[in-house]
Amino acid sequence: MNRSLLTRLGLYAAIAAPSMLLVATDQPFLIQVAIGTLISAILALAWDILSRTGQVSLGHAAFFGIGGYGSALLTPVLGPVLGWAAGILLCGLVAVLLGAVTLRLRRLYFTIATLSFSLSIQVLILVTPGLTGGSTGIMPPVIAGGSPPLQLLFVTGCLVVAAGVSDVFLGRRFRPAFFMIRNNPELAAASGVPVTRLKILAFAVSGMVAGLAGSCYCGLYGYVIPDDVFTTNWNVLPLAVTVLGGMDTTLGPIVGAVVLRLLEELARQAVGGVGYQVVYGAVIILFIVGLPEGLAGLGRVVLRRFRPPGEGTRIKARLAS
Amino acid sequence: MTGVRVRGCTVAFGGLRAIDDLTLDIPANAVTALIGPNGSGKSTFVNMVSGQIPPRGGQVLLDTDAVTGLRPDRIVHKGLARTYQVPRVPKELTIDEVISVPLLYARSDRPLPGGARSAADLARYCGLRPEVTTRCGRLSVSDLRRLEIARALACRPRVLLLDESMAGLSLEDTDQVIGLVRDIHASGVTVVVIEHVMRIIARLCSHAIVLNQGRLLAEGPPPQVLTMASVREAYLGKGFTL
Repeated sequence: MNRSLLTRLGLYAAIAAPSMLLVATDQPFLIQVAIGTLISAILALAWDILSRTGQVSLGHAAFFGIGGYGSALLTPVLGPVLGWAAGILLCGLVAVLLGAVTLRLRRLYFTIATLSFSLSIQVLILVTPGLTGGSTGIMPPVIAGGSPPLQLLFVTGCLVVAAGVSDVFLGRRFRPAFFMIRNNPELAAASGVPVTRLKILAFAVSGMVAGLAGSCYCGLYGYVIPDDVFTTNWNVLPLAVTVLGGMDTTLGPIVGAVVLRLLEELARQAVGGVGYQVVYGAVIILFIVGLPEGLAGLGRVVLRRFRPPGEGTRIKARLAS
Repeated sequence: MTGVRVRGCTVAFGGLRAIDDLTLDIPANAVTALIGPNGSGKSTFVNMVSGQIPPRGGQVLLDTDAVTGLRPDRIVHKGLARTYQVPRVPKELTIDEVISVPLLYARSDRPLPGGARSAADLARYCGLRPEVTTRCGRLSVSDLRRLEIARALACRPRVLLLDESMAGLSLEDTDQVIGLVRDIHASGVTVVVIEHVMRIIARLCSHAIVLNQGRLLAEGPPPQVLTMASVREAYLGKGFTL
């Protein structure tokens, strides 16, 4: 128990260390890149927490945006701490409501419902300019006075929090129950698991972590329009990142965010323009077909090579079964 | 000890009444066999009693507790556990993790059978030889069956429904599972087995209930029930001898 706690603290330190290094060496461009990457990682962790119960979402841009808009609009009223807390809680509330509605939908139908939800939230913002600024956007209070190094430290802190939350849901109490719900909900119920309650819990936590990512994102530059947050890009990104890095892990989405960003930069050099976005589709297809456990799974296989013969075999990760 | 009482329950799929106004008692203090030809409603009976398919009308009582219409996980808390004929456990979970799910979620102060205290104890009690850290994807069919029984026992049941737990097992494995079921019964759990093999029923069960077309056809001690003409005709075929 103590040893696993130490391992986890080591992992969090390892997550935080590169940010510290960037801040210490003062690399303005890399700091900007890192901020964006870490926000993707937080959103991907949020997505992964939900997917562990078999609910594959293509609508996390909605929570990303609601969190960002919520904390931005509530901070002037409630102050920064309470404003963010309220914005994130709002995401949790919306997630509970959406979760309750989509509960009976399975697999593809669930995914379509979440996608439609994110599209309708964008419309909702556009038709309520009095409350949300409509298409002209809003001006959220800037994090850390707009200083990129301090912003990076703050976002790193948020990522460590998200990693901690993810680890709680990979612990003994939740991981087996979540996997059982994903794999065979009847068996879970026959084992005394309150399936509905846990699915909604996962949805609420996932929504709140995604809201945290959105709050960070909106607080970077002090100006946000709906197209910045409520885009399909933020719907697909967490899926691509997690599939690349490895599902059902904490490290996977973080590694995935970093590697996807690297691939994006490479593609930008090679293809140019907006064509670089082709990496999303390519990564999703290649990894689902060739490496369904993602980079984290590849890492485990490589480690096992060096430490033969360990227990456990390669187990195929699935998207929605 | 606790029995199960079913009062006037019906489960219909469209026009087909899989359970048709069924009233029966499963006695406490016994290992009861639930038998009947294919399509007679045995599996539907288990799904109905365990809350997966709530009956249309009627009442299901666990001893004196009405459990009709409760969610499956609530019925587990009340003390009724079931196994599945084809255990579909997540391949990536270990034996220990699968058994730990009901240990964590099925809250009850009833003791585990055989003085077991942990998932590992239960696995050993059910005769699972692989390490508890073995992933379910690597288990044999017979080990998956034992794991399924261990998982159900981890619900701390008063009544245990075993859905064909011995189907397809070797003679040796079958003997071991029969011994296990006797132990479970001796530790104070009412056991219901759905079984097709008449030799097993004759050895293991002190009471038999025969369903046919969703209705109660016969009940009583197995030797008598199995020799009744109506049961033979519906289920065993004419000319069957033990």
